[in-house]
Amino acid sequence: MTARGTLFRETMLGRVRLAGETADRPVRLDLQARADSLLLPHRTTLARLTGRVRIAGRADDPEAEGELEISPLARRRIRYRLGFVLEGRRLQLDGWKSVSFRRPLTSMTVLPYTLYEDGERVGEGTLRFPLATGLGPFLAGFRFPRTPEPDAGRHLAPRWDGTPGRTEVWYTTLTDPATGSGIWLHHEVVAPHDGEPAYAHGWFAVFPKDGPPEHARFGPTPWTGPAHGFTAGETRVTPGRLTGSAGPFAWTLTERLQGPPLHTFPRWSWRRPRLPASHMLPAARARYSGTVRHAGGELRITDAPGASARIYGHGNARRWAWLHADLGGGDVLEIVAAVSMRRGLDRLPPLVFLRLYRDGRVWPRRAERTAVGWAGAGRFRADIGLPRWRVEGRAGLRRIRVSVTQPPGATLALDYTDPDGSGAVCRNSERADAEVRLERWWGRWRPEATWRLSGTAHAEVGDR
Amino acid sequence: MTRTPRSLTGLAAAFLADDGTADWTKAVPRRAAALLTAMPAPARAAVHGAAAAIDAYAVARTGRRLASLGAAERERVMTSLTAHRALLPLLDALKVPLLLAAGTERMLHRAPPAPVSAPEDPPLDCTPSSDWPTRSTADAVVVGSGAGGAMAARTLAAAGLSVVVVEEGAHHSTASFGRRAPLDRFLDLYRDGGATIAVGNPPLVLPVGRAVGGTTVVNSGTCYRTPGPVVDRWLSRYGFAAAEDFGGHLDEVERALRVAPQPLDVLGGNGLLALAGAEALGWTAAPLRRNAPGCRGSCQCVVGCPTGAKQSVQLSVLPDACAAGARIVTHARVRRILTDRDGPAGPRAAGVLARRPDGSELEILSPLVVVAAGALHTPPLLRRSGLGGHPRLGHNLSVHPAISVAGRFGHPVTGRQNVLQSVGVEQLRADGILIEATAAPPGMSSFVLPGVGRELRGELERTERLATLGAMIADRPSGRVLGRDRPLPRYGLAARDADRLLRAQRAMGRLLFAAGAEEVLTGVARLPRARTPAQLEALLDRVSVRDLHVSAFHPTGTVAAGSDPEQAPADPEGRLRGVHGVLVADGSVLPGCPEVNPQLSIMAAALAVTRRFVARTG
Repeated sequence: MTARGTLFRETMLGRVRLAGETADRPVRLDLQARADSLLLPHRTTLARLTGRVRIAGRADDPEAEGELEISPLARRRIRYRLGFVLEGRRLQLDGWKSVSFRRPLTSMTVLPYTLYEDGERVGEGTLRFPLATGLGPFLAGFRFPRTPEPDAGRHLAPRWDGTPGRTEVWYTTLTDPATGSGIWLHHEVVAPHDGEPAYAHGWFAVFPKDGPPEHARFGPTPWTGPAHGFTAGETRVTPGRLTGSAGPFAWTLTERLQGPPLHTFPRWSWRRPRLPASHMLPAARARYSGTVRHAGGELRITDAPGASARIYGHGNARRWAWLHADLGGGDVLEIVAAVSMRRGLDRLPPLVFLRLYRDGRVWPRRAERTAVGWAGAGRFRADIGLPRWRVEGRAGLRRIRVSVTQPPGATLALDYTDPDGSGAVCRNSERADAEVRLERWWGRWRPEATWRLSGTAHAEVGDR
Repeated sequence: MTRTPRSLTGLAAAFLADDGTADWTKAVPRRAAALLTAMPAPARAAVHGAAAAIDAYAVARTGRRLASLGAAERERVMTSLTAHRALLPLLDALKVPLLLAAGTERMLHRAPPAPVSAPEDPPLDCTPSSDWPTRSTADAVVVGSGAGGAMAARTLAAAGLSVVVVEEGAHHSTASFGRRAPLDRFLDLYRDGGATIAVGNPPLVLPVGRAVGGTTVVNSGTCYRTPGPVVDRWLSRYGFAAAEDFGGHLDEVERALRVAPQPLDVLGGNGLLALAGAEALGWTAAPLRRNAPGCRGSCQCVVGCPTGAKQSVQLSVLPDACAAGARIVTHARVRRILTDRDGPAGPRAAGVLARRPDGSELEILSPLVVVAAGALHTPPLLRRSGLGGHPRLGHNLSVHPAISVAGRFGHPVTGRQNVLQSVGVEQLRADGILIEATAAPPGMSSFVLPGVGRELRGELERTERLATLGAMIADRPSGRVLGRDRPLPRYGLAARDADRLLRAQRAMGRLLFAAGAEEVLTGVARLPRARTPAQLEALLDRVSVRDLHVSAFHPTGTVAAGSDPEQAPADPEGRLRGVHGVLVADGSVLPGCPEVNPQLSIMAAALAVTRRFVARTG
């Protein structure tokens, strides 16, 4: 279920009779309600209220705050509680629309309320939603934005449930904007196929701008199954923090997640691991700061763009290509193209999972679209090779062409070991180049956006 | 100004043999018309229809309507009517509103009540619903301010909760009682003009009060402790856990109401004759325990004590509740209990929706709702609120069926001072029969004088010589309350209870003769009088329960508490089953008939239910 919130604005007009006054005063409320959950009429939704309260001649508080309980069916009540300031006094407005099926219109638009100051009643009145002028903007103003994860660190929690023959990965790639160096941290748990105890291992690799990449491995150590993240000796991945050492390297990095989670594979495959593997990013983008010590000195990193990713599955693919490209301006392109090891599936061309996070939206909307298209027709295609590989495809009125170049001098070859003991080789570069061309159909294909990344793309190609 | 129908004018003149010799008879039709307007529409239509029918009979017989006839001709018409024995019950039913009006007018013309000095009432925090905000909140809402509601409000407010009591009726001060005629107060203080009818065989009149203080404003002030065997039965048979330590709760209620035996000084002739008769027969009898210290014998308990002696709950318990912070909203009829139905643990009370007299609505949100609307009105309220799903809700209605017998003495019985309900004769209590000497204000007795025309007028002129006894019986719970918008009580008198009523009638006749009565008026239309005990015995042998004028009081048991979830709509602690946050704290929560006047029982039960709630929630 997509975690979406609800956002809407509402304006109400009415009158109030303040204690000690003999006449009513006009009142106007301009409110914005923000709920962390989807507004479902048969449920009770709690929302935060912010907005402006105006009482003619007495109050104009643009920073009113409160809460809204929306329950038109379950409780037949829409309750507003709003604190605001009237001439230095802190007042509380408490009122609710009482929904009646016999008078749906009136009961949904009339809000009788009482004003309190320190629990004492100091006024009362009625507000009305102006149907004639307000309904259109009210309905058009509804938004259902994705909500920030309630606990961004929850994606770091280990998925492995003790089943033999599984592998689980926490990896982070980043580019230091000051030096142009790329960094790759790989943390992996392998539960061998034969039931041997699971072990944790990994490596740290740095891709200097002006030199060959270097790396060092840590582990293996027995897997202790921490509740949050990854632990192998001193090397840890915890929410917001990466620490550890491997050979000459020692690192202490903080991670600030930016943006919502991004599921490269179908979202359901992360919750229910039915596919051979699933890949996702706890946050589409992240910023890293900290220090990396190596044999030659120390690298201080400040706000380096990058991302962490998670993999859980049965093992590595027969052949794969991966790209993480921070396109700038908050946009991210994530690609995994892979040929499965499973019998039957291994005869298919690479299945492409392409996610373009742009302007707060992900294209294509469904991850399955790029991999299988419409029963195979219209699927995205990958041409995997080295030093250059390509992906292209079309979904809806847009098409994309991605070309990735992994310079041989900035590519590191490392061996992977699957849970069944078989090996694979990956060729990884955190200083890859990429060109992304996005076009939109409008009578003909017209360029919509083009990104060129020089030495800042993170890419990998693997095979056996 | 109420227009008086011509047929009603003629009917009053015929029934009261208005020959123009007395002034008071002239005002009776107008007052009767005013009384009828307060009655429920079916009762009003029935009276008007019967009046029109009798008028039509007069036209058929004489060519003129009753109002146009002379006194002698009217008398002849009525005599020919009463010759039809089948019509006697109908004529008796018509007599009730006319006697109410006639009694009041006669009293006003003969001896206008002297103004009484009333002490100032203890302060109450009452707000009319028109001044109460449309939206408000509280920790607890109590529906009804009668015996149960007042006690619940006091207990909850003392525990520190902010309590709002919602009352449909108005607040009447003691001083206002002193300023107004009894019948005017009667119309204000009773629901349906006192003509709440329980349909059944026989149909019963079941008067209930409607005011701040509920029926305690208009009861007789008799305060019986719940008998021990009844409490034991509630505990052992029904599992009514709130009845544990009931004695302690009764003690506390008695202290709050200042209950004490009625002193003999203002007891009045009625009570003294009952004591004398009991003594002559060797029966157990004593002045009743009442909540009226300093009673001055105004004999107006049933229309609000004008001296403030009777400690109705609006003078005793509600002031304590208000002192602890409770507030009372008057003129607000609760339409629904609001419930939140989407909670993880099932439906939960969220407050009440009440209607003002002008039709507008107000809501009070509160996590606790205490229902104390009375045994007749609580079941419809729960049904309206969608909480009436229990199959036994509204069943188990006990009502204390009651009859009256009067004795005529050679000397005036009622003087200037009388306690309305003064003496209890407990000889037959073990058999479920409780006899109480009851002298109501003119016309307000449940005893119906015999005859029509000159005979009735003669009886009216001699009412001062009448002593009246009433008997109520412990009945089987053979009634039920139907209805959603308004209660529709149905009651079928059980055969055992019919026998008890006939025994009670016989016993009261014996008691009156033993006290020296010259004549006993049986209250039976076709066999109205007996001059000797032997004649009475012979006469009562021919009486069946269908001949009796049965009234009923003290409805209880319609949302009975008990441990059996299939039999009891409320759990042993008085919480309504099927919803969280609803307590039942009125007569309806009692699992069975209390067998005595129930005010103390209801208040002790309300105290127990709410105190247990407070203890449980900390």
